[in-house]
Amino acid sequence: MHINPLFFIPKPVLFLIFFSVLSVCKIVKDEAWALDLKALVRDVEQQYMGESSVSQTHMQVSTKNWQRNLEMQAWSLGRDFFLIRIIEPAKERDIATLKRNREVWNYLPKVDRIIKVPPSMMGGSWMGSHITNDDLVKANHIDEDYTLRLIEETELHFLIECLPKTDAAVVWGKIIYKVRKQPKVPELIAYFDESMQKVREIYFDDVQTIGERTIPLKLTVLPLDKPGEKTILFYREINYDVSLDEHFFTLRSLKQR
Amino acid sequence: MGQISFMSLIELHNITKIYRVGSQKVVALKNLSLVFERGDFAVLAGPSGSGKTTALNMIGGLDRPTSGQVLVNDLDLGKANLKRLADFRLHNIGFIFQSYNLIPVLTAAENAEFTLMLQKTPRHQRRERVLSLFADLGISGLEDRLPKDLSGGQQQRVAIARAIAANPRVILADEPTANLDSNTAEDLLSLMRQLNNSHGTTFVFSSHDDKVIRRAKRIIRLEDGLMVSDNSQNL
Amino acid sequence: MLFGLAYQNLWRNRRRTLLTMSAMVVSVSLLILALGIFSGMFKDMLASATEQYYGHLVMAKPDYHQRRDLYATLPDTILTLPTLQNPEILGRAPRLRSFGLVSWGQTSQPVELLGIQPLAEATVTSLHDQIVKGRFLEETDKNCLIIGWGLAEKLNVRPGDAVVFVTQAADGSIGNDLLTITGIFRTGDRRHDNNLVLAPLTWLQNLLVLPGRIHEVSMRIHNPMTASVLASRINAELNTEATILDWGELLPEMREVISAYDVSRMIVVIILYLATGLGILNTFFMSVMERTREFGILLAQGMRPWLIRQLVLLEAMILAIMSLIIGMFLGGLMTFYMDQVGIDLSKYITPVTYAGGTILPRLHAVFDLGNFLTPAIVLLMVSLAASYLPANRAAKLNPVVAIREE
Repeated sequence: MHINPLFFIPKPVLFLIFFSVLSVCKIVKDEAWALDLKALVRDVEQQYMGESSVSQTHMQVSTKNWQRNLEMQAWSLGRDFFLIRIIEPAKERDIATLKRNREVWNYLPKVDRIIKVPPSMMGGSWMGSHITNDDLVKANHIDEDYTLRLIEETELHFLIECLPKTDAAVVWGKIIYKVRKQPKVPELIAYFDESMQKVREIYFDDVQTIGERTIPLKLTVLPLDKPGEKTILFYREINYDVSLDEHFFTLRSLKQR
Repeated sequence: MGQISFMSLIELHNITKIYRVGSQKVVALKNLSLVFERGDFAVLAGPSGSGKTTALNMIGGLDRPTSGQVLVNDLDLGKANLKRLADFRLHNIGFIFQSYNLIPVLTAAENAEFTLMLQKTPRHQRRERVLSLFADLGISGLEDRLPKDLSGGQQQRVAIARAIAANPRVILADEPTANLDSNTAEDLLSLMRQLNNSHGTTFVFSSHDDKVIRRAKRIIRLEDGLMVSDNSQNL
Repeated sequence: MLFGLAYQNLWRNRRRTLLTMSAMVVSVSLLILALGIFSGMFKDMLASATEQYYGHLVMAKPDYHQRRDLYATLPDTILTLPTLQNPEILGRAPRLRSFGLVSWGQTSQPVELLGIQPLAEATVTSLHDQIVKGRFLEETDKNCLIIGWGLAEKLNVRPGDAVVFVTQAADGSIGNDLLTITGIFRTGDRRHDNNLVLAPLTWLQNLLVLPGRIHEVSMRIHNPMTASVLASRINAELNTEATILDWGELLPEMREVISAYDVSRMIVVIILYLATGLGILNTFFMSVMERTREFGILLAQGMRPWLIRQLVLLEAMILAIMSLIIGMFLGGLMTFYMDQVGIDLSKYITPVTYAGGTILPRLHAVFDLGNFLTPAIVLLMVSLAASYLPANRAAKLNPVVAIREE
């Protein structure tokens, strides 16, 4: 049986995935060997995410049955708070997703209700894309749930393997990051299931310098079990260190517009 | 009928019968040769254990000799299979037992007509035959009684009716009077003689009682499985 | 006369015969009752699996049953196909299926939502009979749904409450709408009570952006046991992208239950009859031993050994048939009681769902000819088998030895 509900997951997906990856990249800064990978993750995360951010993103989802384009606005604060709101298409305008810590909420303007994504639905698709609710919640906890190890270093790249800690409730059997050295940005993340079968890849490109930061603006998610399908996220605009506090990320503000 | 022995109904040739009782061998009959003819009224006389019963069993096809040959009506009983022997008895032999041995759940009439039934005689014919037999035997009116409601003498008469109902060539009786008082025994013997006279039925019976033995036309004496004498007398 | 003799012989030891007979009567009647209850449980299971959800036959795109692909739809005009007008088919219900979230207050639950036409659905499934609160859907209902009892408990909702349903529509958009609960059903099958909701078909077609499309046509037929035959017959006539599955294919475990049921029925029969058979064996051995001399007399009188054997077998048959008459009557009486009244166990146990069907907490029997014939035929066979050894012994007696016996 196929459960394919929409469950909105916060838009911060992007950020989350991004930042976690970026932070991982940062791990290898200084090229010193005795790296404290965990500290570096946070370090890099801090550098790329800033304390807070506001962005505007385009998402294109292509499946065998349809293709759709969404414009979304997103806010983030630290690693625990994200809010994403759909701007277009008009039919889905103002549908919003809030992530607080490890919980995900959706706001549905048509019925004017807020719905919490139940644990059983965390593996479901977010906004019909190839990103799951879990990705939103767990992407920036990679350094907590996985053991990181540098497995290869070339002139241009670092290759980092992430294996789940024994007690971590995670969905992947293994994650491999490929990080460019100069500039230090992620290039590819490969996800493996429990039988170590590669099931998903995320590519990063269009590397741009925004203010003092260099980040890839485009992210492509390829589900390997569904050939031909993909989700592309693209940052139109991103501003760091805006003035946001936790009160912004409440159910009330989720509903507000 | 056999061509070889036109008159002889039963022929015993050199019959020896040895039983095994545990590890012991008991010789019941030794080289017994006898011929009975149609209409015989013969008694096998001798003390208990002299081989009388064994000899009767041989003639009736109930038992096979260890050696020797039993021919009854030209059938070699030693060579016949069980089914053949059963059919032989059904059509040729009538048995009268010392203790009557009526089937307790069947009425007197049903006991008497049992062999007729086995011969597949139609029901009304069986009934007629039984009624006339019972009249002849002086037990009319007892047809529907169960054996337990009959006296010893009456039971033995029913047993005789059963033995002769199918008109067998030979009637074998093992100590038929042993359980009867002397008057009843006397009556029974008279009855047997009467049947022998009127129907020509061959009787071979055993006894150790002189009063009974005296009534036979032919007296064959056995001792320890050996025949010691074979005398005919006119009565 | 042989029959009369056999019958009379039975009553020579009245007490022993009655004892053996009562053992046979008890085993036959208990067996009939037990098999009737087995059948009742099985019928409940099959009914819950088919009449509460699947129906007896389901027409859908091949693979739909396994993959539940949202896009594997059929036009709803398929209902009017001439082959589906077969008189064996008593009801046809079109359905569209969606998986999503139902939410009330702070609670959300994943659900399976069936879009149905209420009147058509009622001709196929029995959910309309299992409403415990509120009412079933009506044709004029629009944004309404009925919800399983367990789900209603989890969400803490009752009829009149408006819940949100969210799912992904066929165009990828997020379909969401408010639905008023009209009723709560309770089937006893936890999976349905905890996960299933029903809403009007047209409403769901709009929400999913699948106008005029359905996933399946569920059908009720006259005799569920003929479902597979009927399915293959209709499939041969069908000339569309759809195929028909029968309940045996939808619920392969249920088919296994049937064969397991047949096996366990035989096991129960064998165990009960093994004891009975030993009783018969014992009775007839004793009876034959007691009559050794009598059999010797019969043999001496020229009764063939085969006929002796027949006599003893006949006695066993007569005993078995008398026991059967009484036992079947008593068994039928008990089955009748359990059919009409039954025993309610719901105070002590909860429904058990197994192999896609639900065993209800009640003892309830149904009449099934097989449940009478099996014990009857097997008892006759057991009696024959158990009396064969004694019969053989009687037939093989040596008349000389037998007559000498006291």
